[in-house]
Amino acid sequence: MNTFFYGVLPYIALVILVGGTIVRYTMRERNWTTKSSQFLGRDGMKWAGPLFHLGLVMAFGGHVIGVLIPKFVTETAGINEHSYHMIALLGGIPAAVLFLGGFIVLSLRRFGKARMKVNTSNTDRLLYLVLFLTILSGTLGTVMNISGAFDYRESISPWFRSVLMLHPDVPLMDKIPAIFQIHMLMWMLTAILFPFSRLVHCLSVPFEYIGRAHILYRRK
Amino acid sequence: MKIKAQVSMVMNLDKCIGCHTCSITCKNVWTNREGAEYMYFNNVETKPGVGYPKRWEDQKKWKGGWKLDKSGNLGLATGSKATRLAKLFFHPEQPELDDYYEPWTYDYETLIHAKRRNHQPIARPRSLITGERMEIQWGPNWEDDLASGESARRDVNLEAIGQKISLEFHDLFMKYLPRICNHCLNPACVAACPSGAIYKRDEDGVVLVSQDGCRGWRHCVPACPYKKVYFNWKTNKAEKCVFCFPRLEGGLPTVCADTCVGRMRYMGVLLYDMDKVLDAAQTKKAGEIYHRVLDLLADPSDPAVVGAAKKEGITDAWIRAAQDSPVYRLIKEWKLALPLHPEYRTLPMVWYVPPLSPIARRVEADVYLPDAEEMRIPVAYLAQLFTAGNTAEMALVLQRLLEMRCVMRAEMTGEELPAHLALPAEAYKKMYRLLGIAKYKERFNIPAGLQGVSQEKLREMQGGGNYTCPMGGC
Repeated sequence: MNTFFYGVLPYIALVILVGGTIVRYTMRERNWTTKSSQFLGRDGMKWAGPLFHLGLVMAFGGHVIGVLIPKFVTETAGINEHSYHMIALLGGIPAAVLFLGGFIVLSLRRFGKARMKVNTSNTDRLLYLVLFLTILSGTLGTVMNISGAFDYRESISPWFRSVLMLHPDVPLMDKIPAIFQIHMLMWMLTAILFPFSRLVHCLSVPFEYIGRAHILYRRK
Repeated sequence: MKIKAQVSMVMNLDKCIGCHTCSITCKNVWTNREGAEYMYFNNVETKPGVGYPKRWEDQKKWKGGWKLDKSGNLGLATGSKATRLAKLFFHPEQPELDDYYEPWTYDYETLIHAKRRNHQPIARPRSLITGERMEIQWGPNWEDDLASGESARRDVNLEAIGQKISLEFHDLFMKYLPRICNHCLNPACVAACPSGAIYKRDEDGVVLVSQDGCRGWRHCVPACPYKKVYFNWKTNKAEKCVFCFPRLEGGLPTVCADTCVGRMRYMGVLLYDMDKVLDAAQTKKAGEIYHRVLDLLADPSDPAVVGAAKKEGITDAWIRAAQDSPVYRLIKEWKLALPLHPEYRTLPMVWYVPPLSPIARRVEADVYLPDAEEMRIPVAYLAQLFTAGNTAEMALVLQRLLEMRCVMRAEMTGEELPAHLALPAEAYKKMYRLLGIAKYKERFNIPAGLQGVSQEKLREMQGGGNYTCPMGGC
């Protein structure tokens, strides 16, 4: 069972994530959009929109630090386990509040208003469910592990890196708490949904706009 | 000198009868689709009035167009690039559906399927967005022919000139204002697009949104001071007037121009000096922008301009069209046409001949041809629309239109010509022919085919096989 969830499914998810995104970008760029619904009604968006995205960026940054950077690197840098955990909580809990709070407000807006229905597809409904469970399980994992009893940097992080190295170390995942197991499953589902949903717009952050000329001319 | 070509339009408001044929033909061709029901690439407004979307001229609210900073440099009114990137997640100035109107249809089927009753069945309105029953509160042309009442009073141009204008019944005035995308020389929508999806076509200056490149960041919508970029709620991408570019490529005028029953639209080619565009947009006094734009429009009969145009790859057919361009005549030779709201600094390339109007009641006595100031539509109001408040400039243009009438009257009656004419009498006769008779081929002179694209390539683009150019030019 674990072999499938932690040795096979991650690869299915990552292949769909990367491959699907490339296929969509090259073949179906015309429907690549943020799917902004502000036009249909701005209520509930003013604060929730930006704060949700801020929480997302914070959470993403925290995951990069906690998952991709091996424990020995931070320890050689002089940050022991206790202080690492404190820093992680200090950043993680506000991120979770913004991320989950923003998400809830945006969901109420999306599913509570008649006009919003016309802009909500079945993919959106599935995506909102999966995203909700992902964010919720992540938040619960953080909150339930305030004591720091479970050190994911001894299990989940090295496993994830081993997946990326194409040499999955499945036994590392044998004894992780249920809430983290759910979180693992949910992120993989999110990754699978990514290329088929509006999530792709996160790859379109217009950094190049900063340095661009004002007026563009193009020939046919 | 860097010469570029621009396809441009002039609308002679003196002849607009407000029939909305342009809006309807345009809608049937371009925006008769789900997600685009509320869009009118072309709409006709009755002025004074709030227009479509409501109070689109209120740039304090929408922050459309450009403005000068303290040191006189040009920047988008909606803020620096960094502040605009912060607006990606929520754009405080973006108009909503209700700023336009909620599009609707009627339950026509009930007329057929209703059971037999004492009263006639009725077709009630139903929202085209949600499909629910709705009460109609506002429409794309709610103020048609109204020019009075609450919404006329909320006209931004009227507010700008304050109490000087009375809307008492005997002083009422109105005019029509058909509006399309102005295909500006300095388009704010292009500058505001974070994805670089909106661009100005190099060949003919048409401003287009790439439907592939658009990511739906919707910054173009508030940035356009004319509110002529729309957000499609179904495809979640921006759309705008395309100046009927497939027709232009075939040498035909836009649908709105072609179907205008008043024959009040003119289309042709302008050559302009690209190096002067930024300076013109940065002109300190907004009332002077018009003159700076006239200055950057190049004289197509000047050999230096022709040489520079050829160097930029502008073909002979385009240069010939520029030399025989009805819009060049109206804009630069006769100075009859003015840009709409030049103070937005986008340098619009759709121009308007301001309307003459009946004589105001206070001077009704024995006047046959009034002065500009004696007409019913206040010069100050027209100046708000077309000359950034410069009333002297507006009076000059109206006076030239009046002089044309004097000259033509003298022609018929044998009276003496007025002593002071701004142009030679011959010019007024030509003016009369172009404005009054307005033959199809004189109103439109659009060279078929894209500049710099060979005939072979054009046929390939048009699907090959037996394609013959409608006007025979390609």
